[in-house]
Amino acid sequence: MDAQFAIVGRDFAISVTDTGVSRSIVKMKHNQDKSWQLTPYTIMTVTGEPGDIEMFSEYIQSNIKLYSVRNAQDLTPKEIANFIRGELAEALRSRNAFSVNLLVTGFDKVTGEASLYRIDYLASMAKVPFGSHATPSFILYSVLDREYTPDITLEQGLEIVKKCIAALKTRFVVDMPEFTVKVVDAQGTRSIDIVQV
Amino acid sequence: MSIMEYCGAAIVAMVGKDCVAIASDKRLGQQQLTVDMEFQKVFPITERTYIGLSGLATDVKTLHDRLRMRVNLYKHREERVIEPKTFTHLLSHMLYERRFGSYFISPVVAGLDKNNRPYICALDTIGCIDSSSDFVVCGTAATNLYGACESLWEPDLGPEELFETISQTLLSSIDRDAMSGWGAVVHIITPSGVITRDLKSRMD
Amino acid sequence: MARRYDSRTTIFSPEGRLYQVEYAMEAISHAGTVIGVLSQDGIVLAAERQATSKLLEQNIGSEKIYEMNDNVVAGVAGLTADANILINQSRVIAQRYLLRYDSQIPVEQLVRRLCDLKQGYTQFGGLRPFGVSFLCAGWDSSYGFQLYQSDPAGNYSSWKAACIGENSGNAQSILKQEYKDEEKDNAAAPDSKTAGTNMTMDDALKLTCLVLSKTIDTAKLTSEKLEFATLTLKNGKPNIRIYSSDEIDEVLNKYESVIKPSDNSN
Repeated sequence: MDAQFAIVGRDFAISVTDTGVSRSIVKMKHNQDKSWQLTPYTIMTVTGEPGDIEMFSEYIQSNIKLYSVRNAQDLTPKEIANFIRGELAEALRSRNAFSVNLLVTGFDKVTGEASLYRIDYLASMAKVPFGSHATPSFILYSVLDREYTPDITLEQGLEIVKKCIAALKTRFVVDMPEFTVKVVDAQGTRSIDIVQV
Repeated sequence: MSIMEYCGAAIVAMVGKDCVAIASDKRLGQQQLTVDMEFQKVFPITERTYIGLSGLATDVKTLHDRLRMRVNLYKHREERVIEPKTFTHLLSHMLYERRFGSYFISPVVAGLDKNNRPYICALDTIGCIDSSSDFVVCGTAATNLYGACESLWEPDLGPEELFETISQTLLSSIDRDAMSGWGAVVHIITPSGVITRDLKSRMD
Repeated sequence: MARRYDSRTTIFSPEGRLYQVEYAMEAISHAGTVIGVLSQDGIVLAAERQATSKLLEQNIGSEKIYEMNDNVVAGVAGLTADANILINQSRVIAQRYLLRYDSQIPVEQLVRRLCDLKQGYTQFGGLRPFGVSFLCAGWDSSYGFQLYQSDPAGNYSSWKAACIGENSGNAQSILKQEYKDEEKDNAAAPDSKTAGTNMTMDDALKLTCLVLSKTIDTAKLTSEKLEFATLTLKNGKPNIRIYSSDEIDEVLNKYESVIKPSDNSN
C-alpha cells in the first residue's frame, strides 16, 4: 500500500512518495526514500514487492550509470524510460517477473522540457502530465484531474501536491505520516521539505 | 475478465477509392481506471502503411518496437520500402513465432501498395490474416464498430467522404463502450500523402 | 622468415608487429579509393569502383557505399565480402540500440562497436582479420556531423576530410592542402556543431571531385566508376542521399572546370 505520484509542469517535475514500509499488518520502517537517482536530471520512484524493488532498481541504476561512464554522456529521460520498460517487459515474460510500479521523472537539457513516464508492473508505459499507481491512485487521480493544468508553476505544483497528501490523509485507510517530495528541473534534482498538512 | 480487455481500445480501418483510412481511440486504461488520454495505438510503418494495435498496452509497445526494427533492417537490406502485404506476412510470422505464449494483441494493417491499390487486413493474436475489401475492426469496441461500419460504409468513397464515414463510425462506437474513447485520431492514406486529424469526443 | 610469425593473427613478431593485420591493411591500400569530406551543413562521401566491365550488371545499386542506419552512411575500402558481414552487423547494432533506448545510436558508439568486432579478430585465435576500412559519415543530436575512419586493427579516428584505399596518401595531402579550415584565432568552441569548418556542401563536393580527378588513374571521370553519397539535415533529421549514375554525371559536369586541369597534367 504505497502512495506514489508525480506531476509535470513545462520545465519541472515533482515526484512524491510516502515513506512507509510495511509487511502484512506491521510497519517495518517509516523513513524509507523510495526514489532512485539515475542521472543528475532523472529520478525514478519505485513501489511494489520490496525484494523486487531492490533488485530491479539497483540493476537499472547500475546500468544507467555504466552507460554514462562508458559513453561520457548521460541518457535522456525518454531513453531511460524506454530502457527500463524494455528490461521490465523482458522479465515479465520470463520465469522471474518483477512486481514493481515506476514513475520516471526527468528534465531534458537539450529540449528544455520536463517529462514523466508512468510504467506499471506489466511494463505498460505512458508519457503523462501526471501519474500515480495502485490503490491510492483512485483517490489521487480525482484530485489531480480537478487541479492540474499544463502551465502550472512550481509553486502551484507544490500546492497540488499538498492537496493530494491532504486527500490521502482524510480518505485513505492506511496512515501515511510522511512523504518524500523531489523536484527535477534545469538545476538538477532536489528534495523539498513540504510543510505537513 | 480477459487480458485482451484490460486496457481497452477501438480501432477501425476502411477502404475508399484509391485511399484507405485507419482510426483509433486514445484511451489507456487499467480496467475501469483511465490512466492516459493520449495513448498511441496507430503507428506509421512506412509512409503509406499504418498499423493499429489493440490489446495489452505492454505488448502494443513491445510489438511496435520489434516491428520497427525488422522493417528498418528490411529497408536497409533491400534498399526499398516494405509493401503492406509483405509487412502483414512479416507481422503474421512474428505473432506465430510466439504461438505458445502469444502477444495479447490483435492488429489491423492499412496501406496503399506500390500501385496505389488499397490494402487492409486484421490479424488474430497468433497471426492468422483476415484480409477484407471493405472494413476491418478490433478492440473492446469491435462489436459496436461492426454495426456502425455495416450501416455507414459504402464503396468508392473519396478521401474526405471516407474521413467523415470513419470518424462517425468510430465516435458512435466508442460512445457505447466504457473501455475505449477519450479522444480519437484518424489517418487517411492517399497516393499524395497522409492526412492526420485528431477528433474530439466525450471525455467521460 | 616472416612465416614464423604470421601464420596466426594472434602472434607478435620479435619487432612487435602483427603481420596478418599489416597484410590486411596492405590489401586495403590496393582497393578503390574512398573519400569523405565534412562541411558545415553535411558530409560528402565518394568511392571509386574498380574493374568495371560492360558485361557487369549495373543495376545492383551501390557496392561501395552503404547505409548503416538512418543517420550513418559508410564508404568501404577492402574486401567487399568481408564488408558485407560488418555492414550487416552495424545495421543490427544500430537497430538494437533503437529498440533498447528508442533513439538513434550516437555515431561514435556505432563506430566503436564495429571496431570492437574488428579488434577481436586480431586477438582471438585462428581467424584472419577483416580486410576492410570504413569511412563512416554520421549525424547525431549531441555532436552534429562526424566523419570517422577505421582500419582492420580496430583503430578509429575522427576527421574533417579523410581518404582510404589506393593512393590515399596522395589524396590525403591534397585534402590537407585544399581544405578550408576555420581561422585559427576564432576557432570554434569545442561543443560547436559546425565541426569547426568553413566549408559549405558546395565546397565539399568540389573538393571531392578535385581529389578524385587527381587520384584515380583514368582519362576521364565517369559515373560508371564512381559512387557518391551525401548526408545532410532535412527538417532537423539526417537525410542520406545515394546518387544515381545520372546524378553523379550531373555533379561531375558541374565541377568540370575543377577536374579539367588534372587531365592535362596526367
